[in-house]
Amino acid sequence: MVELTPSFLMDYESLDKEHQALADIVNLVVEAIDGDDAGKCKTLLPEFVKAAKRHFANEEALLVKIGYPNVKKHQKHHRSLNTKMDHMIEFANMAGENQLARDSLRRELVFFLMDDIITTDMDFKAFIEEKAKTGEA
Amino acid sequence: MKGLHVIGVSHAYGDTQVLNSVSMMIPAGELVCLLGPSGSGKTTLLRLAAGLERLQHGQILINDQVVADAHMHVPPEGRGIGLMFQDYALFPHLSIIENVTFGLFGQPKDKARRHAMEMLDQVGMTAHAENHPHMLSGGQQQRVALARALAPEPNLLLLDEPFSGLDTNMRGQIREETQSVLKASGVATVMVTHDPEEAMFMADWIKILGNNGSILQSGRPHEIYYHPQHEFVAKLFGLMNRFVGVVKDGYVEIPIGKVGAKGMDDGRRVEVLVRPEGVLLESNGANGAPLDVVSTHLLGHDNIVRVRLTADNVAPEERNLYVRIHHTFEPELSKRITADVEADYAFIFPLDGAGDVAEASYASTPQPEAAK
Repeated sequence: MVELTPSFLMDYESLDKEHQALADIVNLVVEAIDGDDAGKCKTLLPEFVKAAKRHFANEEALLVKIGYPNVKKHQKHHRSLNTKMDHMIEFANMAGENQLARDSLRRELVFFLMDDIITTDMDFKAFIEEKAKTGEA
Repeated sequence: MKGLHVIGVSHAYGDTQVLNSVSMMIPAGELVCLLGPSGSGKTTLLRLAAGLERLQHGQILINDQVVADAHMHVPPEGRGIGLMFQDYALFPHLSIIENVTFGLFGQPKDKARRHAMEMLDQVGMTAHAENHPHMLSGGQQQRVALARALAPEPNLLLLDEPFSGLDTNMRGQIREETQSVLKASGVATVMVTHDPEEAMFMADWIKILGNNGSILQSGRPHEIYYHPQHEFVAKLFGLMNRFVGVVKDGYVEIPIGKVGAKGMDDGRRVEVLVRPEGVLLESNGANGAPLDVVSTHLLGHDNIVRVRLTADNVAPEERNLYVRIHHTFEPELSKRITADVEADYAFIFPLDGAGDVAEASYASTPQPEAAK
């Protein structure tokens, strides 16, 4: 199960809440796979993708608002994740019947959340902290 | 979370910045390859994770424990890591079993020996336990190095170009065995390599480091190969055929067909990179671009064919192409041969460098006027 230990916290409430919400869905997927109820993944994954896209939009709006200098790079990174999410939806659709799809989905999803989303967000953690000190974030 | 967590790591040697805000998470049980050219900082990143260099900026955690940041530095022996290098680094004066038990200090001798023999068994080297390293081949020494690295049950295994000292045949076999042992161990593994094929074979995930010391792209091998996000990443995997064109009605016309440029504005000047396996040759093809075969080079499992496009309106720098064919290729002189593009192997990048790679899609059969 995914747990957002301190090194995965942005120390910015709204972003941490959104990361936690994504982690909660990931854990539901893991539970469904482990609990022999992988058919649920078919409905959980679209939920995850929707929440992820909402998070990307909120985050980009925040970064633009506070003048983060690498915002374009981060937007580009978000767009590059669409292909990965498409693949995970495919795995989720097959998870009910296919062991390989279940294994792949579980690993991809955990890596995607912890590495592609949260760890990459750490790039601007210090910037947000600075802006928060001056009341700009 | 168990594994390696690198957060915002930057590092410089004097005035030379070698790592530029690198972040990554490698969960336990996953094997991640750092792939990049010499000087891209991949070995520096490995050395920082190992504690062989002091971290200048950022933070490194292993299994949720901070092992390095700007103020503290846990030495390598305190990090619970296993290391494996290209030159095996076995102690020449110790026997194989002594080499493997070396890292098991603190354990009763019998227990350490039993555990070391189990590790040697996993890599098929028990018969050589009492030999010395100089009596073993390179491949055997590498197996012992793997057993030694895994014997203390590390939290993290770091491999630096581990197979580059082996000949081609042995390399294939040893990397397959290594992958299998690593999967069984469940340890988080980081492997540094400059060999794209090796990274594709070994890795669960690949992280591409560019010359500016930052991660350019991260993904499954399939994703990196078929959906490169940067020209640099596309070119890492060898020969490329390059064309220049302009986006029109969502497509780019190149001499061997049309490639879809979804998400790119009309009028944008772009380069189109096509892998050699993305150029399809056809005998007596009706619509493809006509060509002459210049030479064929048999590489064993496939052929590299050099061709020259013959249509008058092809720019001189776009006439000569490389084609990869996965079977014997013997052109029949009596037949007209033409080339067509396979969009899965074609990648479009803006020439001003400001935008994303377009997702190439094939525009059905190219129109004759587009192909000429």
